[in-house]
Amino acid sequence: MSEYEASMTAETVGVTEHLPASYTQKALNDDVFRMIGWPGRIWWAVFILDLAILLTGGIVLRNQIVLGLGVAGYTRPVMWAAYITNFVFWVGIAHCGTLVSAVLYLFRSHFRRAVYRVAEAMTVFGVLTAALFPLLHTGRPWFGYWLVPYPSQRGLWPNFRSPLEWDVFAVTTYLTISSIFFLVGLIPDAAVARDRAKHPAMKLLYQVFSFGWIGTNTNWKYYYGGYIFFAAMATPLVFSVHSVVSWDFAMAQTPGWHSTLFAPYFVAGAIFSGVAMVINLLIPIRKTFKLEHIVTLDHMEKLSKLVLLTSNIVAYSYLTEFFIAWYGPSKLERDLFWYRFTGHYWWAAWIMFTCNALIPLALWFKPVRRNMLVLFILCLFVNVGMWFERFVIIATSLARPVDPAVTVYYRMSWTEAAITAGAFAWFFMFFLIFVRLLPAFSIAEIKETLTMPMRRKPA
Amino acid sequence: MIMKLLNRLANPPEGKYHGVMGVFYYVDDAADAVRTLRQAGHRRLSVLSPVPHHQIERALEQGLSLVRWVTFCGGAIGFTAGMSLCIYSVLSYPMVTGGKELISLPPFMIPTYESMILLGGLTNLLAMLALGRLPQVRPRAPYDPRFTEDRIGIWVPCSGVEAERVREMLRGHEAEEVRLYE
Repeated sequence: MSEYEASMTAETVGVTEHLPASYTQKALNDDVFRMIGWPGRIWWAVFILDLAILLTGGIVLRNQIVLGLGVAGYTRPVMWAAYITNFVFWVGIAHCGTLVSAVLYLFRSHFRRAVYRVAEAMTVFGVLTAALFPLLHTGRPWFGYWLVPYPSQRGLWPNFRSPLEWDVFAVTTYLTISSIFFLVGLIPDAAVARDRAKHPAMKLLYQVFSFGWIGTNTNWKYYYGGYIFFAAMATPLVFSVHSVVSWDFAMAQTPGWHSTLFAPYFVAGAIFSGVAMVINLLIPIRKTFKLEHIVTLDHMEKLSKLVLLTSNIVAYSYLTEFFIAWYGPSKLERDLFWYRFTGHYWWAAWIMFTCNALIPLALWFKPVRRNMLVLFILCLFVNVGMWFERFVIIATSLARPVDPAVTVYYRMSWTEAAITAGAFAWFFMFFLIFVRLLPAFSIAEIKETLTMPMRRKPA
Repeated sequence: MIMKLLNRLANPPEGKYHGVMGVFYYVDDAADAVRTLRQAGHRRLSVLSPVPHHQIERALEQGLSLVRWVTFCGGAIGFTAGMSLCIYSVLSYPMVTGGKELISLPPFMIPTYESMILLGGLTNLLAMLALGRLPQVRPRAPYDPRFTEDRIGIWVPCSGVEAERVREMLRGHEAEEVRLYE
C-alpha cells in the first residue's frame, strides 16, 4: 500500500461522499470506461429488436403521411389524442435531466454527480422524441417550418399570444440549452476517452467532443465559470417549459383544462415521470456493468425520495382539481370530473390514479426504496401512470366538450399505437448507442469527491 | 489511405515548446511548487490536472471569470430581440385578435423570456470556449495522457539558464518527473 493510501482515510480527510477513501482516480477511469467499447451479444440483440420496432413505426408513419391523418384514431371533436399525449409525456420525461443536472447543482446536492449524465442524456433524447410529435400531428410534417416565427408572403406573422407559438419558443430553447449543457458536461470526460482510445476514428471522435481539452487551469476556470450559468439559466427554463406546455391546455376554455393549477401540476408531474425513468435506466446500467459502488443504494434511495415527493404533489393536484370542480361555480367542470372517473374512460383515470398516487406510497418504506427490483417495477408503473395522466387530461376533456350531446369515444388506432411504440424505440436507440459510446457517468465530477493525494496530512 | 488520414487527424503533430514540465502526484506538492514559481516571477505558468484543485487555484490567485458579463450581454440582447420581434410583428400587420391590445405585454413576455435564455445560453457557450481557449487542435503546453487520469502537470514557459533554475525548483518540490523542452 502506498504512503497516500496508508495515511488517507475517511476519518483524516472527512467524508468522501459514498465512494471509499481508498478508491483512486485511475480506478474510477477504469470502471467508467468498462462500459465503452464494442458491444456484446445481449446489447446487439436488444438493439436489433429496438431497430425493428423503430422500423415498424417508420413504415406506419409513411403510411400515415401518404394516406393522411384519417388513419389515426381522431374522432371529432377529439382532434388531439395519442400524439399530443406522447408529446407531453416525452417533454415531461426530458425534464428530470435538467432538474438533476442544473437545479441540484445549484443546491449543491452532491448525489447528483453519480446520476446526472444519464439523466441529461435522457433529457436530450426525450426532447428529440417529443419534438417529433407536433410534426406528426400536423399531418404534413414537411410544412413543419411554418411553426418558425416568420411572416407569410402576405406579411402576416404567427400569433405571439398563442400558447402554441410559445411552445415553439420553449421547446426549441429547451432542446438547444439541454443539448449544450449535455455536450459541455462531456468535454473533460471526452478528453479522458480520447486519451484511452486505441482506434484513430474513435480518438478523433472524442477529440471533437473534447474540443481539444487538456485540463489547464485556464480551461477549468472558464469551464466552471460558464457551467454555473448554464445551470442558472436551465433552472428557470425547466419550470417555464413545462408551464408553457401546460398552457397549451390551460389557455383554452375547455372543462378540465382551464385552470391556473396546470403549470405547477404539470411541472411536478414532469419531474415525477422523469425521475422514475432515470431510475428505470440506472438500475439495469449499474447492475449490468457492476457499477453499484459508483451509483450506490444511497443515490438510488435519494432519487426514489424525489419520486415520492413529486408523487405526493401530483396526488395533491388531483385532489385539488376535484375540489375546485366541486367547490367552483361551473357545472360543466363538475360534470367533466365526474365523467373522468366514472364515464367511458374510467379505466384510464383509475390506472392514472393508482399508478401515480397510490402505488408510489410504498416509497414511504425504506426497504422498498432500497430494493432495486421492487423500485424498478414501481417506477415502470409510474411511467405507465404518467402516460395515462396525459391521455386522461387530453382525451376526456375533448371527448365530452361543453355540449354533452357530442360526446364520443376515441379509440387509439393501430397507426397511433405503432408510432407510439416507434417513439419509445427511437428514444432507446439513442440511449443504447450513448451508453456504449460516451462516458455515462461524469468522471470529472465524481473525481472531485474522491480523497485527493496529499503528502502532508490536512490540518 | 483513410486510416492514414484518420491517424493524422487524431494525432496532430506536437507543437514546438520551450520550457519545463513538472509532473506531480501530490496536490499539496503541486500547490507549493506553483506558489514558489509565482514568487520567482513565473506568471505565465499553466497547471494541467484531471480535476480543478482549490489549493492550486488559490496558489495561482485566479480572479473571477469574465464569462458572466458576456452571458449577461447575450441575455440582454435576447430579451430585447424577443420583445422587439413580438412588437414588430403586431405593428407591421396591425390586426386585433380576440379583442386584445396590439402590444400585449404579458403574453409577449413568454417568447421574450425564452429568447433571453436562448441567447444567454449560446453566448455563455461561446464565452466559455473563447476565454478557455477552446477548441484547441494543438495543445498549448506539452501534454501527457496522465493529466486526465491522476497526475498534475506544471508547465513553465522559459529557456536557457532560467529553465535550469525552474527544473531545480520543481525537483525541490518533489516532482515525480521533470522534462526540459528546448
